[in-house]
Amino acid sequence: MSTTTEPHASTGPDAALDIRGLRLNLPGTARPVLDGVDLTVAPRETVALVGESGSGKSLTSRSVLRLLPPGAVAEGRVLVEGRDVLAMNPGELRRLRTHTAAMIFQDPRAATNPLRRIGDFLTESLRLNAQVPAEEATERAVRMLDAVGLGDHVLRRYPGQLSGGMLQRVMIAAALMGDPTLILADEPTTALDVTTQAEVVGLLDDLRGQFGTGLLFVTHDLGLAAAISDRVYVMYAGRIAETGPAEELFQRPRHPYTRALLDSTPRLTAPRGRLAAIGGQPPSLRQELTGCPFAPRCRLATDVCTERAPALIPVADGNPQPHLAACHHSDQLTEVTADA
Amino acid sequence: MPDTLREAGDAPRPDTPGGRDSAAVLEVDGLCRAFGEVKAVDDVSFTLARGGSLGIVGESGSGKTTTARIVVGLERADAGRVRVGGGSGGPQRGRAARLARAREVQMVFQDPFLSLDPRTTVEAVLRETLRLHFPGRDHPARIAELLDQVGLGAREASALPRQLSGGQRQRVAIARALAVEPRILVLDEAVAALDVSVQAQILNLLADIRKQTGIAYLFITHDLGVVRCVTDDVIVMRHGRVVEAGSTAGVLADPRHPYTRLLLDSVPRPGWDPKHIAAARRAL
Repeated sequence: MSTTTEPHASTGPDAALDIRGLRLNLPGTARPVLDGVDLTVAPRETVALVGESGSGKSLTSRSVLRLLPPGAVAEGRVLVEGRDVLAMNPGELRRLRTHTAAMIFQDPRAATNPLRRIGDFLTESLRLNAQVPAEEATERAVRMLDAVGLGDHVLRRYPGQLSGGMLQRVMIAAALMGDPTLILADEPTTALDVTTQAEVVGLLDDLRGQFGTGLLFVTHDLGLAAAISDRVYVMYAGRIAETGPAEELFQRPRHPYTRALLDSTPRLTAPRGRLAAIGGQPPSLRQELTGCPFAPRCRLATDVCTERAPALIPVADGNPQPHLAACHHSDQLTEVTADA
Repeated sequence: MPDTLREAGDAPRPDTPGGRDSAAVLEVDGLCRAFGEVKAVDDVSFTLARGGSLGIVGESGSGKTTTARIVVGLERADAGRVRVGGGSGGPQRGRAARLARAREVQMVFQDPFLSLDPRTTVEAVLRETLRLHFPGRDHPARIAELLDQVGLGAREASALPRQLSGGQRQRVAIARALAVEPRILVLDEAVAALDVSVQAQILNLLADIRKQTGIAYLFITHDLGVVRCVTDDVIVMRHGRVVEAGSTAGVLADPRHPYTRLLLDSVPRPGWDPKHIAAARRAL
């Protein structure tokens, strides 16, 4: 697919994150793992990036910190506060990762060292990368722990002495240590219980308001994306399939993949009985793509879908935030509520 | 709680045939298991109807997995009994007893990658299981039948686990469990690690298999949407105890226990209020 240059919400120098035409090639693959991704996050905005495994959602968020797999070749631009991450030198990259953008991972146990105390873990980045005196860094750590609802006694604890939910709150405190303008959260609640998930999500939302950070929330959970985000991007096979305001996208999906994902999720409100499963598998990375990557699994697919990749184009007007879909037949989709 | 037997584990009921529920394929009565000071399972009782589907819902530490492992025979109980198919619930030690239990109850785990031998092809996995449980039967025909039942073809039959997708591996795990022709399948978060589109395929497959074979499911999950989709009855566990039990439709539509309500409120949806949930959780 050629890189689209459709106007997006909140582009420009004010955006916390502005990804343009990001293409990522990995050795040994027949197609790019990311293929012309455009994505923006405004300050104080929560944006959900939804997709299944292999869709490229985690690679997209990791590319913002230039945490790329070995041998990866990236094209396009990844602008954080207007500066291109892909063109940064090691010093700039270190400053970006310390002060500008922070990531919260799925498994807090895997992201902490079990032999080091939480206090060390929280202050390490500031002490080593920003030469902040230990006392000052500890002071900030106490403030951040307080912001996530934990007392300063946690500083002396080891990761193994905290529950999963508490440790994920520590990870959020760690992400806030450098006062970032952008937080990247990669499935931050997937490993947590549902009631703990609510607590962590509520906390992230609070802090976003309080600190003015933009939040890119990567998740496979459509319900969660609908519940927490302002805007949503749906990814499939390394491309953005659809993007728009959360409510509109879930009420009136205009890409058959988004629609199929909604239909195949077992929900508390949908009718009981058989789920509308999507047949087949997502395309393999060893396979070149000519047309729309979803065409082999799509009930609306026609000849044009296998011949020509659809561009990501506006499908609805009258919104302050554009609703775009990459589908030749998006006008054939009806409202979810109409025939659910 | 019409389906739930609630008697103390240290006071087993008289072993009279009339006291049994003949429609039940699994009766669990007063199950207790402690790990040190922690009561992981605390007086848990339930019945699973023949060909029925019972969900056990709870968060981590609720005791749902320990309960499942006791039912399968991977863990012992401190007190209480597990009766499978109206059997005596007698001694569970030794190879013969283990095989006998395995014939009745099979388990499917969350991560099929960890429960399959990386060096064994799909076909060989099934052959090995059939040889152990049914020496002297026509295995190739049965293997083809099993693969067909779970929607796998000849190409997957000769594949190693790493050459398969997550959904395909879970199909293999289900086929291996079905090979034994058990009366009960215990599914411990069996669809939790799958993508939604694949999860839907597996949930539909499980519904079809139950309809065709009359097998009963004990479905361990944290996901209320999944419970609603595949179970007839449900028990809600918290801190090792059953806090609510009943028909799935009834419990989800009209939860009586505040913890069940909290679980339901915690499911993300548009207009969801995480702060309200966090407050309710602390109040409980």
